Amino acid sequence: MSNENFRRELNRAFDGMAGQPSPTLSGRIRSAIARPTAARSYYWIAAAAACVIAALIVGVLFVANPLHRPTSNVGVPLPSPSASPSASPSPSPSPSPSPSPSASPTPSTAAFQCATTYGPVTQSGPVTAYVSNVATGAHAGYDRITITFGNGAPTSVEVQTQNNATFTKDPSGQSVTLAGDHGLLVTIRGADAHTTYSGSTDFKTGYTKLLEAQQVQDYEGVVQWGIGLSGSTCYRVYLLKGPDRVVIDAQTGT
Amino acid sequence: MEQPAQTLARAAQGDQDSFSELIEPLLDPAYRLAAVMLADRGAAEDAVQEASVKAWRKLRQLRGDATSLRPWFLSIVANECRMARRTRWWSVIKVADVDAQDRAQPESYSDLHRALLRLSPDDRLPLVLHFYLDLPLDEVARALRVSPSAAKSRIYRSAKRLRADLTMDEVF
Repeated sequence: MSNENFRRELNRAFDGMAGQPSPTLSGRIRSAIARPTAARSYYWIAAAAACVIAALIVGVLFVANPLHRPTSNVGVPLPSPSASPSASPSPSPSPSPSPSPSASPTPSTAAFQCATTYGPVTQSGPVTAYVSNVATGAHAGYDRITITFGNGAPTSVEVQTQNNATFTKDPSGQSVTLAGDHGLLVTIRGADAHTTYSGSTDFKTGYTKLLEAQQVQDYEGVVQWGIGLSGSTCYRVYLLKGPDRVVIDAQTGT
Repeated sequence: MEQPAQTLARAAQGDQDSFSELIEPLLDPAYRLAAVMLADRGAAEDAVQEASVKAWRKLRQLRGDATSLRPWFLSIVANECRMARRTRWWSVIKVADVDAQDRAQPESYSDLHRALLRLSPDDRLPLVLHFYLDLPLDEVARALRVSPSAAKSRIYRSAKRLRADLTMDEVF
C-alpha cells in the first residue's frame, strides 16, 4: 500500500468513526457558555457572603483560640508546636540538588509513615497556587524536597507510595522511569507550576535515598511530582506556612 | 474585519461573541478528534461542549498568540476525552458497546479500520492530529504537549502499529 493509499484509507476509516457533528452543537456550546454568566451575579453575591461569614468565624476563633493550639501548621503528621522561621524547614536557596546548609533541621519530632498514603489533605487557599520554587536537600536522617508557593497554599496534597520508580506523565500518557526502585507520587491539586516557576523540573540528586525528583504533570490545575527512591522508604509530609510550602522528607538509613 | 489578535483580546476580557467567533471554526476538528478518541458520537459532542466551556473559563491562561488557540483547544478536548473514558460507567458500558459494534460490522470495516479500533485512544490521538486533521508537526506537538521530535516519534510509532512495514518517509 503506497503512502497516499495509506493516508486515504486511514482518513476513510476516521470518517467512518466520526461522521458529522450535530448541527445543534454550536448552539449548545453558545448556551453552555452563556449559562454561567447569567448566574454569575448570584454566585458572586453568595461567594461574598460566604467569605464574610468565614472571615467572621476565623476572626472569632483566632481571638478566642478555644483549644489553645498553635495555628501555624496544617497537615498530618503535624510538626512541633512552633513553626517559627528559625525552626521551620526551609528549602535550599537554589534549585540545584545539593545539600544545603540553610535547609535547616526539621523542627519536629513527627513520626515517619511507611507504605501508607498521605492525604489527600485539603487546605484553604487561592483557586490556583503558583509554584515559586522547588528545592532538594540532604540532611542527617532524611533527604528532603520542598515545593514552595508564592501566593497561598494549594487546595489539596496527596502522597502515594509505589514499589517502583515508573510514573505516567500527564497529559502525554508516556511512562518515565526515574532513578531508584521505589517511588512516591506527590499530587498537588489547585496548583500551577508554569506561571511563576521556571526552574528545574528534574532533579538528579545523588543522595542516598531520594535519588531523583521529576515533575510528571502540570495540567488543568494539577501538579504531580514523581520521586525515585532507593529501596522502600518511610516518609513524612509537612504543609507549612510563611511561605506556603509542601515539605516531604524521605527517611535515610532504612 | 477585526484581526484574530483583537478578537482574542476581546474574548479574554469576557466577550462571548468574540469567543464564539474564535471557537466555532475549531468545533469541527474538535468533534472529529473526540469522535475518534471515544468512538462514540454523542459522547464526543458532550466532550467538545465541556472542553469549550473550560476553554472559555481558562482563556486568560492561553499563552502565545491567536495561532496557539487551535492546539491549545484540541489539547483540552483530548484531555476531556481521557477524563470521560476514566469514569467507571464508560469503561464498563461504552467499551463493551464499541467491541460489540466492531464484531457486528466485520464486512463494512477494512482491516485498517479494525486495526484502528484496536489502538488505545491515546495512540489514535497523534494519528488523528497528523493525518485526519492535517495539522503541521509543531501544532501536533503543542496539542500533545510534547516536543516536535517526540510528536514525530509518537505519530510514527502509532502508524507502525497499524502497518508494521511503514517507513518514516512514508509517514511524513
